[in-house]
Formats: sequence, C-alpha cells, structure tokens
Amino acid sequence: MRELSRRQVLGIGGALGVVAAGGLSTAAALSLRPAQTGAELRSAVPLPSPFQVPLPVPSVLAPVSTADGFDRYELVQREVTAEILPGVPTGLWTYGGTFPGPTIESRRGRSVTVAHRNELPVPTVVHLHGGRTPADFDGYPTDLVLPAGWSGDHHMHDPQAMTTEVTREYTFPLDQRPTLLWYHDHRMDFTAPAIWRGLAGMHLVRDDAEESLGLPTGPRELPLMITDRAFAADGSLAYPALDPTLRERPGVREPYVAGVLGDVILVNGAPWPVHEVDAARYRLRILNASNARHYDLEAVLDDGHRLDLVQIGADQGLLHVPVTHQNLPIAPAERYDVIVDFARVPMGSRVRIVNRLGSGRARDVMAFHVVRKAVDESRVPDVLCSDLPEWQRSEAVRVRDFSFRAGQMGDGHGWLIGGKPFDPARTDVTTRLGDVEIWRLVADVHHPVHLHLVGFRVLSRGGGPPLPQDAGLKDTVSLRPGESAELITRFDGYRGRYLFHCHNAEHEDMGMMANLQIT
Amino acid sequence: MVSQWVLRGLVSAHLVAIAGQPVFAGVYLSGDFDGLRMHAAGANITTSIGYLQVIAAVVVWVRLRQSWPFVASLAVVVAETVQYFAGTGGALWLHIPLGVMTVAAVVMLFIAVWRQPLVRRHA
Repeated sequence: MRELSRRQVLGIGGALGVVAAGGLSTAAALSLRPAQTGAELRSAVPLPSPFQVPLPVPSVLAPVSTADGFDRYELVQREVTAEILPGVPTGLWTYGGTFPGPTIESRRGRSVTVAHRNELPVPTVVHLHGGRTPADFDGYPTDLVLPAGWSGDHHMHDPQAMTTEVTREYTFPLDQRPTLLWYHDHRMDFTAPAIWRGLAGMHLVRDDAEESLGLPTGPRELPLMITDRAFAADGSLAYPALDPTLRERPGVREPYVAGVLGDVILVNGAPWPVHEVDAARYRLRILNASNARHYDLEAVLDDGHRLDLVQIGADQGLLHVPVTHQNLPIAPAERYDVIVDFARVPMGSRVRIVNRLGSGRARDVMAFHVVRKAVDESRVPDVLCSDLPEWQRSEAVRVRDFSFRAGQMGDGHGWLIGGKPFDPARTDVTTRLGDVEIWRLVADVHHPVHLHLVGFRVLSRGGGPPLPQDAGLKDTVSLRPGESAELITRFDGYRGRYLFHCHNAEHEDMGMMANLQIT
Repeated sequence: MVSQWVLRGLVSAHLVAIAGQPVFAGVYLSGDFDGLRMHAAGANITTSIGYLQVIAAVVVWVRLRQSWPFVASLAVVVAETVQYFAGTGGALWLHIPLGVMTVAAVVMLFIAVWRQPLVRRHA
C-alpha cells in the first residue's frame, strides 16, 4: 500500500475534524439544553404581563357532616366558564366549580368520605394522589363514574372494573403522615386531558405533632399548585387531543406524544400571579400538577440575589431535619414543603419564583411582593419529626428492575414499562402485604415514576447518592434522561390491586402504567 | 521496536474496551440496572487504557521519532475525558455523538498502528 502523502493526511484529517466539529456543534445547537420531554403549545390569545394578577388561594371545602367520627364532603364535577386570563372566558371541567378544586383539610387518622357527582359529559375517576387508601377507593382507572345517559363504549376490557352511575363515594382513612396530597382525575386513557381541563385539587392532612412545631401558619401557609396551560383563539384551553370530545379515541397528535406543555404558567389557576407578603417566614406547600412540565424553582430578588429554600417536607410529609436548597427541581406530581424567609428582603421589593428549566414566558412562575413589616413568632425546629421510616437494604426480600421507555403500542407510539403497555387485566407485580422491596428504575427520557398506596425512600440515583432534594419519604421520583434510581419501600396498608406509573400524564395515558397486586 | 508492540497492544485493548461501551449502554437502557455499573466500569477501563496509551505513544515518539501516535492518542484521551464528565453529568446531547466519534477514532488508530511497522524517522 502506498504511503499517504502529507497533503492527503492533512486533507483527510481536516475533513474528519470538520465532520466531528460539525456534528458536535449541531448536537449543541439542536438539542434542548436543559433537556425537555414534551412539546410546547403556543397560546393564540394575547398573554398578560407577569406578576399582575393576585394569587388566589383555593377555598377550603366545608364538610356537609362531621358526625360519627368521620367527615363527609360532597363535590359536583361540572363544566364552568371562568376567567383565567383577564377578560378571556375559558371553559373548564371542575371539582365544585373552581380550578383548582376546593382544598380538603383533614386530620391524620380521621376518615373522610367524599361523595362525587359526575355532571361532566364523560366518565371520571377520582384518585387521591399520595393517599394511603383501600384499593376500592383508590380510583383505579377503569372504576368509572359514568355520566347520566352515557352511551360510549369503553374499548379497554377489564373484568374487575367497578363502574357506577353518576355518583360515587370515596372513603379515605387518611391513616398516614401529614402532608399535601392532591386529588385528580385518573380515567383510563384520558387522564391527561381531564387534568388539563381542570380536574385537580389539593388535600391537606394535618396532625397535632406537626402543629406543635411552630411552623408558619394561617395566611403564612400557602398551598401553591403550579400548572402550565395554553389557550386557543376562542379562549378555550388548547389541547392536541385526537378526539376533542374525549369520548372514544385516546391520545394526542404525534408531535405531542412525549408530553403536552403550555406557555402560560398558572399558580392556583392564575397566570404568573403576585402575592403580597409580610417580611416574615412563609410555609409554601408546592405541588407540580402540570401534565408534563418539569420545573427547577428558585427564589430570586431583583438584584439577582437568591433566597434560601428551606425544605421541611417531601411528597409524604416532614423530613427528619430541614435541608437548605438554592433550587428545587420538581417533576409532575411531586411536592415540596418549603420555608422561605422574607424578613431580610428590602421592604417594597419583589421576590420572583423562577423556573430555571423554562425558556421564554415559561421561565417566570410567580412573585412575592414584600409590603409589610411584621412580628414573626414562627420557627423552624432543628428536628422536625422522628417517625420517618428507615428501611435497610438487608430487609428487602426482593429486588425488581423496571425500564421506562418509548416503544410501540398497538400501531402507534406508546410508552412502556418493562417493554409492555398497560393492560388492566394483567398483573405485573405481585407482592405480599408487609414485604420490603427494592425497585431499580431506568428511564430513557424524563419519567416521574409514582407508586400508589406507599411512600418510599430514594436509595441511589444514577449509580451515586441521591440528590439533596430526594430526602424524606416520597411517592414520586423524577428520573431524568438516561437516569436510574433505586427505591426501597414496605408494601403495607391494604391488600388489593394498585398501580404504579409514570406521572407524565400523556405517558400515563399512552401505556406507561402497570398493576401492583398486594396479597 | 518493543515500544511499537506495546503501543499496538494498548490500542488493541483500547478498541476492545471501547467497543463494550455502546453494548453496556444498550443493556442499561433496556432496563437492566446493572448495565449502568458495567458502563461505568467500562468507562474507567477505557479511560485508563487511554492514559497508558498516551505514555506508550510518548515512548514511541522518543524512540522512533514518530509523533502522530502521540497526537492521535492525546486527542482520543481528551475526548474520553470530556465524554466521562458528559456522561456523569447527564449531558446526553454531547455524550452520545462524542461517544460514537471516539469509537470511530480508536478504530482508525487501530488500523493505523497495525497497517505498517513504525520505522524510526531520521532527522
């Protein structure tokens, strides 16, 4: 073989260098950095400036009866027209006429019954996310509450389905650690568009021990439900459903199969709201109720200085000790219980809550306007609780591996767990009541994985230690692209058929759920 | 001549090690949790061989007065180091294309060192 000439070496080497540099810069230019799973809808109406609309706080639902040791509530699921954007009427599906639905306040161990009445045009299912709930009341996706005169035929056959006509009573024992739960629709194949249209509300569990800590309370405790939405030209909520009536054909248009993102950020149903606060500590009960949008929240003053976010609780209640963060990554369905101290913020100035993962209008979330000096008798104890479950690896009787990834489902794109799309009639995991298990999860893109019934601890993430934000007891773990995590939990509480699934609501509707049978 | 054979041996081992990396990545993304540990161990082995190869290439440069194996090995090792941190940092947009390019570079280097003996260049 002939020796390459110097000229050839330089030519070939240069060409390869150009290809390599071109490839990497194309990757840098085209890739979403930070990574994003989902596609953003653009609103077709003019959007308001941020930090103009006051922050609404959902009303607390009054029980219709408190007799016999349990509280009874009634909620009507119905369509309303409301102004989310100022001056723009928007049709919503609601619990009790508002979005978010009214907040239910309950006590640990005191049973709550919520009687739901479905006056919407489609079947519904209510699930209390994070609730330690008997299987019959857990809102299994085929346990439909059919609207009056429903004629639709549901295509997914489930012999165990327990459907009811128009009404259904859900009883929640709430024998669990105090925390922020949320209730939302969980209807088979149509969860994502139903939540998008407004079927979500918050549910707080409290107890004496938590109330004795001296944490900020009353008007200085704020539940914050963060969602993203987009608006069509007629003011309605835009959503790329294949069947806009949401009656028969599930799924979204092809560009949105990874998840639907909106360009308007709502907190408690208001666009980029502002809240006037005292120069004092506030307790923020943050919930990401978005279908697919992840946030990485930080509290920024106008001079760029960041306020500490002192995490005191996770999805399933108080941490053992507070953990101070500069930013809080929050995936769909995750919650944080956070103390923010406005005491040293200059009077009259503004603290913006910013999403570091967002671009354009999705970067702003809300703002706090510090307007009053005030006495602050609240405190954040060094030790918050001592009832956090600790499970050792040696206690685990089983280790299970699950992949969460894209795949083929029927004749279209779907999302699979362990290579399979959801089938209500197939039991994927069987475990015995009381068993401790380690679950090892691997994701291809962002998958916030949620287990019904139980809380878990995160043992590891990406082969290394968990994030500081993974502390405490969780019910949803946010896997990022290519990431894995190990969870440990004890399956206790109740026997029966439960679910685990990805809480990207579009993924969940397109197959990414599996059955968990506790025997 | 010993230095040439050491370099050939290391480049060959490097090729075997780096060929395992996409395999383990695929195993991992199929849902096998241990695939990540194999991918991480493979990264440690591949990068370590890379550094040894740079040392061997320095010796070739000194003994045989051929500098291109050093330049090529250094470029590969720099790429692998970036690759390592892109992987642990979750920057898949960089990790995947750079990984493919690094494998291609090691393949080319393998062909180059085996194609013909490295003869001492006279100044």
